[in-house]
Formats: sequence, C-alpha cells, structure tokens
Amino acid sequence: MNILLTGASRGVGLVICKTLLEQGHAVYAVSRTHSDEIAALQKQYPEKLFFKSADLGDPAAAKAAIFAEDFVSNKIALDAFVNNAAQAYDDIVTNLNLEPLRAMYEVNVFAPMLLTKYAIRNMLLHGKSGGIVHISSISAHTGYKGLAMYASSKGAIEAFSKNTAREWGGRGVRSNVVVPGFMETAMSATLSQEQKDRIYKRTSLKKATDISSVAETVAFLVSDRAASITGQAIHVDNGTI
Amino acid sequence: MEKLAQIINKIRANKGNAEPVALTPQTRLREDLAFDSFDLAELTVHVEDAFGKDIFEDGVVDTIADVCKRLGI
Repeated sequence: MNILLTGASRGVGLVICKTLLEQGHAVYAVSRTHSDEIAALQKQYPEKLFFKSADLGDPAAAKAAIFAEDFVSNKIALDAFVNNAAQAYDDIVTNLNLEPLRAMYEVNVFAPMLLTKYAIRNMLLHGKSGGIVHISSISAHTGYKGLAMYASSKGAIEAFSKNTAREWGGRGVRSNVVVPGFMETAMSATLSQEQKDRIYKRTSLKKATDISSVAETVAFLVSDRAASITGQAIHVDNGTI
Repeated sequence: MEKLAQIINKIRANKGNAEPVALTPQTRLREDLAFDSFDLAELTVHVEDAFGKDIFEDGVVDTIADVCKRLGI
C-alpha cells in the first residue's frame, strides 16, 4: 500500500513509519525536519520510504509540497493517509492567547483537513477505496489541567473523521481515529514525573501507553483487515478512566 | 471537448448508464446528467488530472459551457 504519513520524523510518528515499512508498505513521510532516524530508515528501505520536509503550520504550502510531481503526484495511488503531526499548546484557559492557539489549529486541524481533501481526491482519481487514520489524544475524552486548548483541536479532528466516514463511506473511503493515552514522547516531555504519575494512576494499567501498540493499531486500521471499521475512535490508552 | 465527454461518460458508465450521452454547451451537470455531489467530485479530480485545473475552485459550475469556460477550451 502507498501511505501518506505526517509527523514521521520522531515520537509515535517514527514508530508508525517503522511499523508500516516493516509490513511492506511504501510510506510517503512528511515532517518539518529530517531526523537521523528517518535517514537510517531511508537507507534500510530505499525503495519504500520517501521523505518530504513540509511545515503544516502553513497548510496551503504544505499541501502544495506534498501533492507535488516529486512526491504524492497523481501517478501515485494513495491507499491511506495517516494524520499524526501535531503541535501542543498547553496552558490554563485564563492564559489563552489567540496567536499560539491559531498556530496550533493550523497544524492540528486545518492542515489535516486540507490534506484529507486531497487524499480523498487522489483515491477518487484512481477509483480506489482507502483508509484515513487521525491520531487524537485521550485529553479529548478525559479532562486534564492545561490541556483544554490542545484537547479541543483533537475533538475537532475526531468530529471531522466521523463525518468524513459518513460522507465518503459510499465510495469505499474509511476514516477512523486512534486515541492514544499518554506516551513517553517529546510531546509529554515537559511534564514532571509527579504529573506523569498522576496521569498514569488514572489508567487501568497504571503506566504510560506503549507507543508500538498505538502504531500497530494504526497499521491495522489502514489495512484490509479493518475493512468493516469506519467512523470509530479506537482508544489505545491503557484503559484510561 | 472530446476528452471531457470521455470523462463524463466514464463516470456515467460507472453508475450503470452504459449509453454515452451527447454533450452540448447547454447540458446541465446536475439536472441533465443527474450528477450528484460525489459524481461532481469525481468529475473535478479527473478533469483536473487531464486539464490541470480545478473547475470548482472558483465556485459552482452548472453547465458544460461553464466547465469549458473554466478550462479555456
């Protein structure tokens, strides 16, 4: 399968990238910056991993860079789009500042919506069914201090996915969401150990969510094994309560 | 115009309308060809692939003449 993946250079995106490559897929990986890990994967999978640097903070420019002749051109028949790139804006609501809020929405909401538009158009062009998976966050379902703005962006993308599934199901396009719990990634690196422990205590398994479990779920959802799954939000969160 | 007709007839054929339709500038996409919004989306991507222009980018098109005008053909 040909899979477009954003936010591929680090964190959960990098593990998703590795998992998809290991399963034999071709990955069109997008990130703001190239990383040593991506370079190593490109060496390992020269025929399967294609990288493009793009900043989703400018959705129109990112779309132009991604759906370009030298990357995901009309000659490439996309099977799936995995929207993983995200930006955090953590603060309490009374400190909310519009500028960083807008910047976060460009990356977390507007860019993935625009890329979904062109991913579906690519699937239509090739007359193919396809899968879309958005990476959300447990914060959209369980409240945490300081995450109201970030969680709202994930809630928006979950609603977008549900409606995309309804709208395009008749043409064979599936859209699902993976809802990870807190993982040990750069995104949660600013949290103190005490804060992390408090968060993990709210899970049934009492620990950080396993990143590879999230990646495997994404790989499953884009595959034909999930042919009857659409419009869903699959929680991979250690049973957050 | 011939390429446009091919695209339109292919979309109609995929919907079970095997009979090719003769297009005139006055042919309306929705009323005469019975294209719904999904058919129009399919038309858009195939036309963009063939002619390099998104015909719905600047608003709604109604007739074949509108499409030709957008494409400059």
